[in-house]
Amino acid sequence: MLVYGFINSIILALIALGFSMTFGISRVANFAHGSFYVLGGLLTWFFLRKAGLPYVISVIAAVVIVGILGAAMYRFLLVRLRGLELAEVISTFALGLIILELMRSMGIMGFQYRIPPFVPGSVSVFGTYVGIQRLIIVGAGLFLLVIIYLFVHHTRLGLAFRGVAQDDHTAFTVGINPDRISMLSLMVGSMLVSLAAILILPLGTISVDDGYDILLKSLAVCIIGGLESTFGVLVAAFILGYAEVLTSMYISSSLSMVVPLLCMLVILLIKPSGLFGKYKELEERI
Amino acid sequence: MNINSEKRRSGMRNRMMFTVAVFLFGFLAVSPPIAFSAEKPIVIGVPSSLKMLESAEALNAIIMATEEINAKGGVKLGGAQRPLKVASIDTRGGEPGVPISDALLAIEKLFLEQKPDAVVLGPFRSEVLLAAMDLYEKYKMVSINVAMTPKFIEKYSSDPAKYKYCFRMLNAKYVVGYLMKTMAKLNKDYGFNKVYIVVQDVLWATAIGNGMKGWFEKNGWQVAGMDAYPTGASDFSSSLLKAQQSGAQVIMPIFDMASSGTLALQWKDMRVPAVPVGFISPLMGSKAAETFGNDVVEGVVNIAFQAGNVPLAKYPPATDFYNAYKKRWGQELQAGHMPSEAYDSVFVMANAIEKADSLDPDKLIKAIEEADYKGSIGRIRFKDHEIVFGEDPAENAILVIYQWKNGKRVPVFPESVAEGPIDKPKWMK
Repeated sequence: MLVYGFINSIILALIALGFSMTFGISRVANFAHGSFYVLGGLLTWFFLRKAGLPYVISVIAAVVIVGILGAAMYRFLLVRLRGLELAEVISTFALGLIILELMRSMGIMGFQYRIPPFVPGSVSVFGTYVGIQRLIIVGAGLFLLVIIYLFVHHTRLGLAFRGVAQDDHTAFTVGINPDRISMLSLMVGSMLVSLAAILILPLGTISVDDGYDILLKSLAVCIIGGLESTFGVLVAAFILGYAEVLTSMYISSSLSMVVPLLCMLVILLIKPSGLFGKYKELEERI
Repeated sequence: MNINSEKRRSGMRNRMMFTVAVFLFGFLAVSPPIAFSAEKPIVIGVPSSLKMLESAEALNAIIMATEEINAKGGVKLGGAQRPLKVASIDTRGGEPGVPISDALLAIEKLFLEQKPDAVVLGPFRSEVLLAAMDLYEKYKMVSINVAMTPKFIEKYSSDPAKYKYCFRMLNAKYVVGYLMKTMAKLNKDYGFNKVYIVVQDVLWATAIGNGMKGWFEKNGWQVAGMDAYPTGASDFSSSLLKAQQSGAQVIMPIFDMASSGTLALQWKDMRVPAVPVGFISPLMGSKAAETFGNDVVEGVVNIAFQAGNVPLAKYPPATDFYNAYKKRWGQELQAGHMPSEAYDSVFVMANAIEKADSLDPDKLIKAIEEADYKGSIGRIRFKDHEIVFGEDPAENAILVIYQWKNGKRVPVFPESVAEGPIDKPKWMK
């Protein structure tokens, strides 16, 4: 239970990481996040199974395409709506719906859409057998968190990201273009969620309905952890990951999907900015 | 001058007549017989969740059936041969999060706009069917449905005069019956007596889970646990851990959702020493071995809810349908329930229309009640508006339990169509 709780927590963190990063920098709540997840998985499947490309090339191609789509979404849609938060949410959600329902109407259904695991098989971890793909997810998840930390704190672009996240007007006065940085944050966030999809989807099959589920889970993790806090995402993912497993193990598996939403409501009532978020608090102070 | 003019007029007339003759010939050559095309088609309504694999393939099967009937001249009604026409609508009722009321609105839209004469297939989800029974009554729409909940018969029996418009092609109780016999066989052959039940949290699946739980407890089995997962769940580790810790030899999964493929993969990864015997829809079709890997599907025992959705060497009509589907649509069936029964439903309905010689609902209902048709799922007869299942396709409709062996689906029950025994998986020996 401890092992699977840990793995599920990392999976949740991976799913939510892109959403949190995008919001933290550009203040755009990307409600097309779930559809980018499914699209990333499906593109990989297409390149791998239909185009016959090698696995690595398929992964790179899918991640790049979804990244470009994220950037294009900002450049051609969101840039005109900056500051209109409700319009941003509605437009990204609408785009997400269009992507998912287009896939559905193109006949993406059934069970054959599956990305193979990077390495098949399972090994014993503290006496419990775990699929190697799950261990890869854990490794890749932790690696990504470290990379993002290093990127944001030790690269020129990363520092520009932080500058815009702290105050885009001030960042502008020192020569950072907030629109360009926001566009890049959408691109990086979209690439992260497609990478998450490519890591996680070999555990099952690709389904269009996953898009809605992933968006809900991302929202739950980010709201609990604090929308713009990467550390908060990690903590919230562990809270939810273990809460789901414990609920399923000791209360009822039928409630396992209700837990994230319940946690989200409780946190919103107690601390509206999330466990590590400052956004709402600052807004209220002003 | 006059002679030349007359010649020109004559030449023009000839060319015109030739053109008209060619045009008429072409028109007649490509047109169906005039008597046929002049008749108003009989509209078969198909309101279902058409973006679900099972319903989508069922719609293909329905189209195939109407094409076959139309190719033979259509349905004889009132002295004329009338073609069948399919009018479908995607109710989305099977998709997670879609409210029943939305699915009902879609059904009503079909009734009002397309004005079908009868309905086949019907709602994907049992919950929607139960609600739609009142719509069928409101519009006096004779329907042959496929959703499986045992509550259908409860509702029908509560007011047969009101719900007489509804027929149904399968009851979950027959799935329970087949699983009981399979479990009894596993108990007798291999001494299995401990089971862990994992089901999808929807009416039909929980009904099967509860039905089996009762049977296990009365028949000397130990039920180590029963968990219900919401549609869309994708982590089953807690149930698998509990199954492993309890020493269960059998896991009985009942799922028709895409993410249940994860259950099979997790079962394999966690090396749970229990054989899955039940219904996992992603492991149903011929492509499952390729999609999930031979090592994952090997030894799994799955139940196809009707013959025809898997080919049967010992019952040719099932194989004929399976092969005809592949020929018509260019790929093999992947769904374990709905296509073959939907296909047969069209023939049952067409025969009933001919027998009643009317589209009057009451006459049609009587004709369906008296139906006796040999289809791809076996012999079709109705009792209390539900099809009767048995174990011999010559006598009744049948389900098929099969086991994955070396990447192939081998029918193991009922005996009338079995092509081998249920093997104990090699890793259990």
